[in-house]
Amino acid sequence: MTEINVSMLTPPADPYPAPNAGYVVDAPVSFTRKVLRLTFERIGAQLGLAWIVLIMVLAVFAPLLANSHPLAMKSNGQWSSPLARALTPTDVTLLITFFAALILWRLKRIRRATRVWTFIGIVIVAAAVSYFTVKPPLVQVYDTYRNGLVSGEISKAIFVPIHYSPDDHQRDVEDARLKAPTLVHPMGTTADSADLASNMIYATRIAISIGFVATSVAIVMGVVMGGLMGYLGGWVDLIGMRLVEICESIPTLVLLLAFVSMFQNHPDQALYIMMVVIGALSSFSYAEFVRAEFLSLRDRDFVHAAQAGGLPLWSILFKHMLPNGMSPVIVNASFGVAGAILIETTLSFLGIGLQNESSWGSLLEQALGAGGNVFWWLAVYPGLAIFLTVLAYNLIGEALRDALDPRLNKMA
Amino acid sequence: MLTYILRRLLLMIPTLLGITALVFFVMAMSPGGIGGAALAAAGGNVRGAEAARIRAYYEKRYHINRPLIVQYGRWLNEISPIGWREDDEGNFTTFGFKSPSLGESMERHRPVGDLIAESLPITLLLNFITIPIIYAIGVWTGIRAARHRGGAFDSIFGFTQLAAWSMPTVWLGVMLITFLASNQYLHLFPAAGLTEMNASQMQFLPAHVAGHWSRGWLADVCWHLIMPVICLSFGASAFLTKLVRGSVLENLGADYARTARAKGVAENVVLYRHVFRNSLIALITVAAAILPSLLAGSVIIETIFSIPGMGQLGVEGARFQDREVILAVTLIGGIITLVSMLLRDIFYVLADPRVSYD
Repeated sequence: MTEINVSMLTPPADPYPAPNAGYVVDAPVSFTRKVLRLTFERIGAQLGLAWIVLIMVLAVFAPLLANSHPLAMKSNGQWSSPLARALTPTDVTLLITFFAALILWRLKRIRRATRVWTFIGIVIVAAAVSYFTVKPPLVQVYDTYRNGLVSGEISKAIFVPIHYSPDDHQRDVEDARLKAPTLVHPMGTTADSADLASNMIYATRIAISIGFVATSVAIVMGVVMGGLMGYLGGWVDLIGMRLVEICESIPTLVLLLAFVSMFQNHPDQALYIMMVVIGALSSFSYAEFVRAEFLSLRDRDFVHAAQAGGLPLWSILFKHMLPNGMSPVIVNASFGVAGAILIETTLSFLGIGLQNESSWGSLLEQALGAGGNVFWWLAVYPGLAIFLTVLAYNLIGEALRDALDPRLNKMA
Repeated sequence: MLTYILRRLLLMIPTLLGITALVFFVMAMSPGGIGGAALAAAGGNVRGAEAARIRAYYEKRYHINRPLIVQYGRWLNEISPIGWREDDEGNFTTFGFKSPSLGESMERHRPVGDLIAESLPITLLLNFITIPIIYAIGVWTGIRAARHRGGAFDSIFGFTQLAAWSMPTVWLGVMLITFLASNQYLHLFPAAGLTEMNASQMQFLPAHVAGHWSRGWLADVCWHLIMPVICLSFGASAFLTKLVRGSVLENLGADYARTARAKGVAENVVLYRHVFRNSLIALITVAAAILPSLLAGSVIIETIFSIPGMGQLGVEGARFQDREVILAVTLIGGIITLVSMLLRDIFYVLADPRVSYD
């Protein structure tokens, strides 16, 4: 007697059921969309994303959140906005970029490619124009506003939430160094009498930019190196792999230390040099993944078809093979951003990082003062910010990895 | 197997040449160049003839005016056991066997060999205490989490291990010093150094001397090492826990584990005799990655806790662009990394009879 298994009659369960799908055939969902949905289904990845969006907003609106210049003030019977006049080209570019991204993201009717190219165009134009037209005063004297308010020269002033710029060393205030949090300075002050909360907000810019730029440099270099090594094979592969091996066996920190004098002697470009150096050093691990993927892809039919069609090398490599070998790169990119932030923190903490601007690492370093004095606010707040940012990227990275690798997903 | 090891040892030589050459040329081509900061420190307050005199002294003594490739070649000659001997002027005299040396530090004017001999044991001590701790924590919690998968222990660990892994070593160190070692808060541990000032006069073991208890040298060192070791082992043990859990889970679901259970083997025996042995391979792979990362970590730890180890020597050397010190630290760091990679591949064979290199 054969028993009919009921489950054989019903269609197999859709592993990714769309909401309210029922038995209606799902609308085709792109792979990217599916992976993104799986990734951000997780509460951890959502929290991580929320934190990163928060620090991005802080980075964009930093001058409107913490500034010694009043937003508006009335002096000699006339209203003016010193804050608007003191905006730097970076501030203006960031604000324009932010709103352009927001508007273009909402304009769902236009094709995505058009929107992306418009966005890139807007960013380039905004950066170029603001670099040449926005000229903030070279010397900032912050105490004029405080003194003016006391003497009555300025009759009314509207300030942004935190009344101090990150480089406002409060020359008019006696003994403002290393003060514990008060109502005036909600996170206390630093070793050079600046407001910690304000410095923390501006430092988000360094954290975000170093993470993204260093990782982008690493991915571009790693994909080109690994792609060529995996596709061409032979002596390119041999030499490339020796190079990768050499660079992997140097303790990263030692090599970074060798580069240190580069950014110590060019303090203005230190951030950019550091981004490129961190990126270049971490590109070798991407090169290894990409090489392995390309080695397995290069004898597949679609690659032979592309070769037979007489396509140029770059097209075979980057348009045909790369999309098929990208998933380990994407997963590691998320962890890489966290790693880049940690390296910057470590260098700044060792006192060999950025000198002109304070980053979370250099603020953390001030927590251990001379003579065994410690300052808890300088230990807790910047450290917590670094920790949460690194955790956020790691949470997203972990969720991405599980979403891209169904085998691991089942196991965990 | 022996030929394999020999071949690997010989292959290390070109890799080490590549590593030191890369670090040397990066350092030499960056602003200031070799000894730039040392020269600036020596001639910072003097001008004209005096500065030229100091520069001439450095040039004569350390040959920093020679072409870079010659400087690197001279360094290679210096560290190799076969090569040219030098006279006092730095000219090559006879070719033959000689005693290899690591040169002299420009900043401290001491033989680098001595500096390394003082600092390397401290760094190695730190790491050799840390590694067993990492493995003990990682294996115990990892197996426990895998065994009660989905249980309370596992879910708590799932989140905390990621948090622990994301914890920046720098922050952990600063927080420990701030709240546990400063006299403003709890003054439980020493904040800096490896021993107390008077440690050299202490007994080795705790003893009752002159009417009061002295904790002795051994206990003193342990007391100083607690916080640095916590910092070093924190992130790595979280990483290892995750690895052990994944690897044990994979093997618990394997066919051979099911067969063992089916024939009535006790669950504990399945876990420790069958599954754990097969999970060892993943642990060995990661051991080679852990040692170099611990070495990098000890650079940070040694700076925070003012421990005079090799990491601190390297940071100082980098600040002064001290040619011999940086090259020596790179060479030794590279050797440790490459040897740990070789050990990993040897352990593979010992752990898994299916692997063979012959």
